[in-house]
Amino acid sequence: MTPIMQTLYLPPSTHPLAHILDRLENGGALLPETPENLLEVVGVLKSYGVVIGAYHRNLTYVADHQFLVLFPFFKYFNGTVTFKKLLKHWWHDRINYEFAEYCMKAMFWHGGTALDAYLDSPEFSERAGKAIVAKVGGSPMSAIHSLFPDFLPEQVRLLAYYSALGQFWNVMSEMFLNLSDRYDQGEIKTIADVVDHVLQGLVAAANQPITYAVNIKGKTYDIIPESVGLKFLMDAAVPYVEAVFFRSFPFFGTVSYNAQAGQVPHEQAGFNYGVLYADPLPVGGAGIPPTLLMQDMTHYLPDYLRQFYRKGLRGEDDLRVKICLSFQKSMFCVTTAAILGLMPHPGATDLQQQQANRQYLEGWLDRLVDSRLISIQ
Amino acid sequence: MLSPLIWAPFLGVVLIGLYPQPLQPSRARQLALAIATLTLFWSIYVATQFNIGQSGFQMQESLPWIERLGLTYQLGVDGLSMPLMLMNSLLTWIAIYSSDAQISRPRLYYILVLVLGGAVAGAFLAQNLLLFFLFYEVELIPLYLIIAIWGGSRRGYAATKFLIYTAFSGVVILAAFFGLSFLGGSSSFDYEVLRSQVLPLSSQLILLITLLVGFGIKIPIVPLHTWLPDAHVEAPTPASVLLAGVLLKLGTYGLLRFGLGLFPDAWQVLSPWLAWLAVVSVLYGSLAAIAQTDMKKTVAYSSVGHMGYILLASAAATPLSLLGAVAQMVSHGLISALLFLLVGVVYSKTGTRDINALQGLLNPERGMPLIGSLMVAGAMASAGIPGMVGFIAEFIVYRSSFPVFPIPTLLCMVGTGLTAVYFLILINRTFFGRLPETLANLPRVRWQDRLPSAIVTVLIIALGLQPSWMLRWSEATTTALAPIVARVAWEVSVK
Amino acid sequence: MNQLLVQTSWWVPVYGLIGAVLTLPWSVGLVRRTGPRPAAYFNVLMTLLALVHSAFVLGAVWNQPPQRQIIPWLHVVDLDLSLALEISAVSVGTAMLITALSLVAQVFALGYLEKDWGIARFYALMGFFEAAMSGIALSDSLFLSYALLEMLTLSTYLLVGFWYAQPLVVTAARDAFLTKRVGDLLLLMGVVGLSTLAGSLNFTDLEAWAQTAKLAPLTATLLGLALISGPTGKCAQFPLNLWLDEAMEGPNPASILRNSVVVASGAYVLIKLQPILALSPVALNALIVLGTLTAIGASFVSIAQVDVKRSLSHSTSAYLGLVFVSVGMQQSDVALLFLFAHGISKALMFMSVGSVILTTSTQDLRELGGLASRMPATTAAFVVGAAASIALLPLGSFWAMLEWAEGLWVASFWSVGVLLLVNGMTAFNLVRVYGLMFGGKPQAKTRRAPEVPWLMAVPMVAMAVFTLLAPLLLQQCNLLPTWETMNWTAVGLLVLSSTIGCGLGGLIYLNPKWEKPVDLVGKPIRDILAYDFRMERLYQISVVLGVVQSSRLTAWFDRYVVDGLVNFMGVASIFSGESLKYTISGQSRNYLLTLFVGVLVALTALSWSLLGSPLTAIAQAFSLRAI
Repeated sequence: MTPIMQTLYLPPSTHPLAHILDRLENGGALLPETPENLLEVVGVLKSYGVVIGAYHRNLTYVADHQFLVLFPFFKYFNGTVTFKKLLKHWWHDRINYEFAEYCMKAMFWHGGTALDAYLDSPEFSERAGKAIVAKVGGSPMSAIHSLFPDFLPEQVRLLAYYSALGQFWNVMSEMFLNLSDRYDQGEIKTIADVVDHVLQGLVAAANQPITYAVNIKGKTYDIIPESVGLKFLMDAAVPYVEAVFFRSFPFFGTVSYNAQAGQVPHEQAGFNYGVLYADPLPVGGAGIPPTLLMQDMTHYLPDYLRQFYRKGLRGEDDLRVKICLSFQKSMFCVTTAAILGLMPHPGATDLQQQQANRQYLEGWLDRLVDSRLISIQ
Repeated sequence: MLSPLIWAPFLGVVLIGLYPQPLQPSRARQLALAIATLTLFWSIYVATQFNIGQSGFQMQESLPWIERLGLTYQLGVDGLSMPLMLMNSLLTWIAIYSSDAQISRPRLYYILVLVLGGAVAGAFLAQNLLLFFLFYEVELIPLYLIIAIWGGSRRGYAATKFLIYTAFSGVVILAAFFGLSFLGGSSSFDYEVLRSQVLPLSSQLILLITLLVGFGIKIPIVPLHTWLPDAHVEAPTPASVLLAGVLLKLGTYGLLRFGLGLFPDAWQVLSPWLAWLAVVSVLYGSLAAIAQTDMKKTVAYSSVGHMGYILLASAAATPLSLLGAVAQMVSHGLISALLFLLVGVVYSKTGTRDINALQGLLNPERGMPLIGSLMVAGAMASAGIPGMVGFIAEFIVYRSSFPVFPIPTLLCMVGTGLTAVYFLILINRTFFGRLPETLANLPRVRWQDRLPSAIVTVLIIALGLQPSWMLRWSEATTTALAPIVARVAWEVSVK
Repeated sequence: MNQLLVQTSWWVPVYGLIGAVLTLPWSVGLVRRTGPRPAAYFNVLMTLLALVHSAFVLGAVWNQPPQRQIIPWLHVVDLDLSLALEISAVSVGTAMLITALSLVAQVFALGYLEKDWGIARFYALMGFFEAAMSGIALSDSLFLSYALLEMLTLSTYLLVGFWYAQPLVVTAARDAFLTKRVGDLLLLMGVVGLSTLAGSLNFTDLEAWAQTAKLAPLTATLLGLALISGPTGKCAQFPLNLWLDEAMEGPNPASILRNSVVVASGAYVLIKLQPILALSPVALNALIVLGTLTAIGASFVSIAQVDVKRSLSHSTSAYLGLVFVSVGMQQSDVALLFLFAHGISKALMFMSVGSVILTTSTQDLRELGGLASRMPATTAAFVVGAAASIALLPLGSFWAMLEWAEGLWVASFWSVGVLLLVNGMTAFNLVRVYGLMFGGKPQAKTRRAPEVPWLMAVPMVAMAVFTLLAPLLLQQCNLLPTWETMNWTAVGLLVLSSTIGCGLGGLIYLNPKWEKPVDLVGKPIRDILAYDFRMERLYQISVVLGVVQSSRLTAWFDRYVVDGLVNFMGVASIFSGESLKYTISGQSRNYLLTLFVGVLVALTALSWSLLGSPLTAIAQAFSLRAI
């Protein structure tokens, strides 16, 4: 090999996941291109789209209509309380909105974003303070507020995240349902098409503003005005990927919280319990919160996917584990889209730029070395 | 009244044997199941006709057979055999139900299982010593063949070992029976006749020791036990269920019926030794079980230990302790049957019984959570947790043996603690923990796989909550069987 | 009406069982389309019914002499096992407290485990737990109490093992079961012995029997020691204390019950056994020694813990140690009061800790801090719980400790010293935990900490209010000393010890200038305390080693000696050579063998009959010569 050749072509990577890197550089996805993968990914995203649509509606409802309600008994009812609905609720015949709150809390707790920084700013304190006074002023709660001055502002911060995640899932839900429609019409034929669809969707929504205002006694209080400048891609999508795909929380069902055992990392950055890392086998068991999402998705599977699952060794007995496996595949496609969307030099021909791209991709793959990426190949 | 319990299975044998070719496995299974169901219902009917207040044999039948040998076809049932007979019918049904639906050579297989069930029923019901012996011998052959044909990889070795041991046991028992007949000078082998005659203590001792060796192999008493783990490990699940559930009981049944029943004076002399033998069996079996890595071996050694409790209670020979012995026979029969059924399911789905290779089987989607839960129930029943039949049986055994043999009883109780140790190890290794990728693609567990274990579990819990359902049959008989002079060491020492 | 209520009092434990059974469709996976929460609601409802029922019964038996109820269960030969219940204000009150705490814990769990798909199983176990405990409260039979204690052992195993896929849970569940089982087994030996000696196992009969019984000293001692070992395991006393630490791997709502009423149920049985223990001075002294060792040792250990659940659980052991001492001193009333005061305050603190864990995803004291201003209910719960566990304000433990000091002021002043020491150290530790958890600046994991939802906050607040009002309740029951009869020196000493403890704790842990983490004693000592005096090593080199080695030895002996020898002897003598035994492979050979043995047997039978008479002579001659 001569030095001239090296300047013309990027040398093969020495990264442990070089074959995946190679695929990414050639326009492929983290997930291998197979017909089964396509069927699973699109099918599960269809169901996921329906479920996060419901999650989005509930999160938005809580943020807008359950503002500082002390006993939000009907917070999962989205405003319409009927006896029949109540019975269904008690029978647990419903969407598990708890999981939406779980994802929201992951974003909230891990923080480290522009939204997080804003929530610690004086501007937020002032805006939240006004809303709090408007809501609880004159009630016994105001005494507690003066005794524990950070109690209610913390709740408002939480509600801000309710709203932010609701807005994010609104976009994603439409995007996934649209994907399913296009697949049904024959427009989506490969995994690459799926990635492209998601990428286009993200790009289109990238600059959509993230805002939060609440109506108290007929007056609107801006908690996050547009002027703060929070945008969909960088302030909702990217933090979501970080908090939910990568970090999340250790599951009670598989990780010990014992301080002496030291199983949970001291640094939050060291958390790797997210969708891309979690072992799907324990799903369905005790102490595994994603079971809720998988359960919700069982209700909205398209027929072709259900048929596909039925052919397995255990039929529908292990439905939730199978959904989780497919879901992880689909989330690797979404991750691919996010990776491509944030690529420093998309479609670069210049060697320098290619070099930069490669460095960028290797950075992502470094984080994914211990994830489920290998097992879905 | 009683004969159908023996001859219905044999009728089934003829039916299956003469069924025109080709006999599909499923059809053979249906036939065998139908026969077993009939037998089971008939046993229940017999039970309803049973007079629990009466201590002697009931529903007796007698037909002369080979007079010159003293062999008469004499049947009868009393409080000692009634529960065991019922359990035999039930476990035979369960064994057939839990047999592999696609088993090879179905005709032979089901014939053998039915012969086994019929012969065991015959042995429990026989009132003539020679008749008992005949059934006792007949029962060996089908089990031997089942192990030898449908067993695991070392089936030849295990089956041969089983046959040699138990055939030897049979020969020894026969020798004792003949000895008894000749020493007593009567040509009859009628149990009631022999029971009424009084032999000198020396003769009694010799005959009793001979019987003890014979039945000791069957029970088994350490050190005569080594055939059992091998036989269990190699036997297919239904055979293990029958072996642990009823065949071992033939040993303790025989010991009580013929040992204690015919030689009460010698029994008094030997009983302290028996109590210590029981201690050895209990501790030895329990400790050996802890060291096993094969689930079936653990359960098999656990049987050795738990059969020791029956020996302890038999040795004490008070009215209460004999009742405890019967209770423990029923309890162990049900619990060990349950455990073998469950291990069988695990083995059939995972292909291994090595507790180091298994993990996380409680996993709700890809594991076998219900089988695991039943396993927890079975293990806890075996460890004597209240609410299940094991507790009350063991409690009566301890409570009744303690005044007679305080130290051996306390040592046997340590065995209960050790039971918890080995079963906890087994459950924690195999069912707890995370399901590894290697076990993530197991075949489906169907309701048919669960049903037999579920039935036995329900019985274990029901009899644990309401033990009088189990004890009422035997109280009169065991009270009559107990020697009049019971030595009470404890009260003496207290004073 | 009243009589009817009393007669149905056995229903109180049954509700929990019914709840447990009702969860079956969900816990066995029959219902798959919808979620498991109805199972939880059924159990909450059943517990509520049990609570209401027990409240009515309590009303009916208030100020009445205790009544006995005998439920026949098993009567065979000379063994009469009837289930006797005692319906008195104390027993029904205890049952009511248990159901109330169970209700609180279950409602708390609705929030704590809202994302857990296994709640059907969890509630089944909670129902079972509650049934066993309220049964113990009402039981007037040692047999019944023993049986229920064993069920408690089983349900502890299953509750700790709830998250069975988590590796530490697996060992924790195992250790909890085996440790308690060791105690239970010795207790069973005691029960069997006592049943033989006394005839009846009803506490009432036993008490009467103990009045007149004359036992040999050795018998009485062995009996007493056997009887106290069960409660020693249950109450996590030295040397059977380690399981409670490990059991903290289980879900927090179960820890609430475990640290308040489950450990107490062991002590409750101990109190019932007190008349029999009084037969043996050695047993009473053993109680005092074990209790004192545990109380002081566990207090030190709890200060060295970095895990908040473990710190509190060791303090549970310490308080139960005090209960042991008071039973050993024959002060049963003090012991009951102690159990009550400790139970409610510890339950409250565990609820508070639960909501901190759920909010911050950590239970490491080194990672917590600064939660006070944002979590009012949680903070208040902890403060009230802590205040009610030490003798500072006139809350539960203050009065319990005062009773203790008054009862033993003259008889055994040193035990008052133990009490003061434990109280002071507990005060120090609780201020430490408060300071590290709620005081100081927020850390990375606590900077986003919203208060928990109402399903957890409401039970917490309710429990806090109850704890604050508990002294009034005690006064209603005439359990408090009057103003004139109070021992003011004791009051002064108690308050002083609490103040010193709180002051030192505050100085170090509430003082932002004091560098954290704090190193008070140096690493070697801290490590010994943090790892519970290396008790685990002690188990490893004693019991575990003994069992493992003897089982290996037995297995080896079995394989190479017994099996080897018997095989050799048996087989070699029947068949000449090993070849047949091990190399048999073809099935035809097996058939041949079968036939051979069958024929052999038949021939033997025939020959016996034909050659009967000469053989008889030989046999007779042989038998005569042998004897």
